[in-house]
Amino acid sequence: MFYSVYELPTHIFAILMIAFFVGFYWIGALLLRPILRQFVKHTKGANDVVGYVLSCFCVFYGLLLGLIAVSAYQNASETGTNVTREAAALSALYEDVSRYPDPYGQNLQWLLRDYTRYVIKYAWPLQRQGITPVEGTIRAQAFQEKLLDFTPQTRVEEILHAEALRQFNSFLEYRRMRLFSVSTCIPSVMWYVVILGAVINIAMVWLFDMKFLTHMALGGLLSAYLGTMIFLIAAMDNPFRGEVSVSSQPFEALYKHMVEE
Amino acid sequence: MPRDVSPENKKAPRRHSPLATSQSRREFVRRSGVAATLAAAQGLAPIIFAGCTSGVPAKGQPIKIGLLHSQTGTMAISETSLRDVELFAIEQINSAGGLLGRQIEASAPDPRSRDDLFPKRARELLSGGAAAIFGCWTSTSRKAVIPVVEEFNRLLFYSVQYEGNETSKNVVYGGLVPNQQVLPSIDWLVSAAGGLRKKVFLLGSDYIFPRTANFIAKKYLETKGLKPAGEIYLPLGHREFGPAMQAILASSADCVLSTVNGNSNVGLFAGMASAKIDPDRVPVLSTSIAEDELRNLLPEQVQGHFAASCYFQSLPQEANRQWIEHFRKEFGYDRVTGDPMEPDWCLLHLWKKAVEKAGSLETDAVRAAMLEGLSFAGPGGLVTLDPKTQHTTKYFRLGRIRKDRQFDVVYESPTPIDPDPYPQIAFPGWKCDWTDGGLTRGPEVTIDGDV
Repeated sequence: MFYSVYELPTHIFAILMIAFFVGFYWIGALLLRPILRQFVKHTKGANDVVGYVLSCFCVFYGLLLGLIAVSAYQNASETGTNVTREAAALSALYEDVSRYPDPYGQNLQWLLRDYTRYVIKYAWPLQRQGITPVEGTIRAQAFQEKLLDFTPQTRVEEILHAEALRQFNSFLEYRRMRLFSVSTCIPSVMWYVVILGAVINIAMVWLFDMKFLTHMALGGLLSAYLGTMIFLIAAMDNPFRGEVSVSSQPFEALYKHMVEE
Repeated sequence: MPRDVSPENKKAPRRHSPLATSQSRREFVRRSGVAATLAAAQGLAPIIFAGCTSGVPAKGQPIKIGLLHSQTGTMAISETSLRDVELFAIEQINSAGGLLGRQIEASAPDPRSRDDLFPKRARELLSGGAAAIFGCWTSTSRKAVIPVVEEFNRLLFYSVQYEGNETSKNVVYGGLVPNQQVLPSIDWLVSAAGGLRKKVFLLGSDYIFPRTANFIAKKYLETKGLKPAGEIYLPLGHREFGPAMQAILASSADCVLSTVNGNSNVGLFAGMASAKIDPDRVPVLSTSIAEDELRNLLPEQVQGHFAASCYFQSLPQEANRQWIEHFRKEFGYDRVTGDPMEPDWCLLHLWKKAVEKAGSLETDAVRAAMLEGLSFAGPGGLVTLDPKTQHTTKYFRLGRIRKDRQFDVVYESPTPIDPDPYPQIAFPGWKCDWTDGGLTRGPEVTIDGDV
């Protein structure tokens, strides 16, 4: 159910997330605040006490959110880099095999083109659903089989073949990393801690004794920013899902070059 | 900022509170709570209950089909193009709105050119809900898959030319059968246009298709008062054709009818060139060579030889030119089309027509729609599904291989030839008619060799 939020446009996702947190705060302020206030009602300087505790809590929670956000960003960024590297390795390999004598060269180029087309048309939509595509492996194996079928006849061909094999291994490495990234996400337990922290944060603000409208405005603002932070982490998590995700653009550019050559 | 709650101020009027004038704070809380709850419920309900697809009507599950072609191993060189043309057809159908309002989703596992993996993969596809399978190339793979499609009562669409002598209500055959390919080839060879050749050497790979096709060819030659100059079978994948060339030279054959398949053709034509057998004097007429296979053969070795087919890329029809242009735009400027890619394309569209006519994916309903007769204007001409045999009518075309690995069409049958999987010269008494009970068996026929 939660993954379906990635099908929404980013701005709608953000608005929904903010609305959810602000709504939660407001509803709580209306319904729960009078009950929670009972705990600190008779404490002298209650606002100060709550303020100190909240400050302390916010340090830990802010650190947690910050670290998770950085981690999600790094993960998305690394995935994007790996995708670009895979496309670059594929491009170099395509150029290498174009120097092979026919029919090897042509066959190998066709197989790489086939692989690239599969990645764009079939693998990417699956990745966006969190499914690891499997048929690309068949295409990579078909290429490997044909590549190993070639026996160099000259010194030049030997060097070319060695370079193609090296490039192919790099390509396989990046491809494997991309496939691993499909299911990479922030662990559920971390999400539980983030959500629990957000609830505690909001609950602490409910404890303040303020004018009602001030409460709604200041608490609403704080909740809105909490929602924004959590939206940011969620949007960057799952690097292939949603609008803020790694695109197939490097492969598309490569395929355009391959078919228009 | 915290409100001052010192005892001095406890009873001070709340001047700035808008609640003080018209309603109590408790009432405001109650009403606001109800309103906020309703608003939240309205906003979040689509996410919780409809997976964020609010307002978008469900289009239904995609139609699953299986594409069963070897993508690695010895047959990959031929079969990969079939997978591509099937994906191309499916993508076009999907972009035009799909089938029965649903998108088609293809799954293409790799049987790795291994006959033991074909039925296994077919079973996996059908267990996974595939409505039909488009696949196979060799007869052994097809024969291995047929029991599986019969068990699941689904349809196998087979687009490669084959030997006939087979029928299954769960198979739709889109390729040429011997009466549409081998027999017209012999007719042409012995005609004036073909050089009035009398000594036909039969050379084939050692499996079902070449053995059966040559069995029919021998029977047909007999009706013309001829006998084959020789007959040799070599294992599939075999590349050493030196002894076969010696046998051809020793037999004084004036033509070779080749049912050699796959990579073995590289060895065959290299052997012909090594033995300095001139294609004008002893041409090879191949039943299993198309544009895709020619890419792996040296032009100087194959130029001047012939291939029998139902389709060539060089056909001048406008529909063919457009089809090639679209295919190349999608798969690359240097891709070629050929037989059985074109029959495969036609078969997929015939299936689509049958499903649309039946309004269902149920095998029996689709078959019933097929039995009423269906036609499709393919790149190579009109193709009609024969309700009696579940085969298709085909033009017979003969091409001479050019230096650019394309064909000059030297002969084309005036009209499409009806399919006959049981030519009476070879299988007397055998008949297939699905509009009238199915298969009629005749006397047992023994075909030489391990078939």
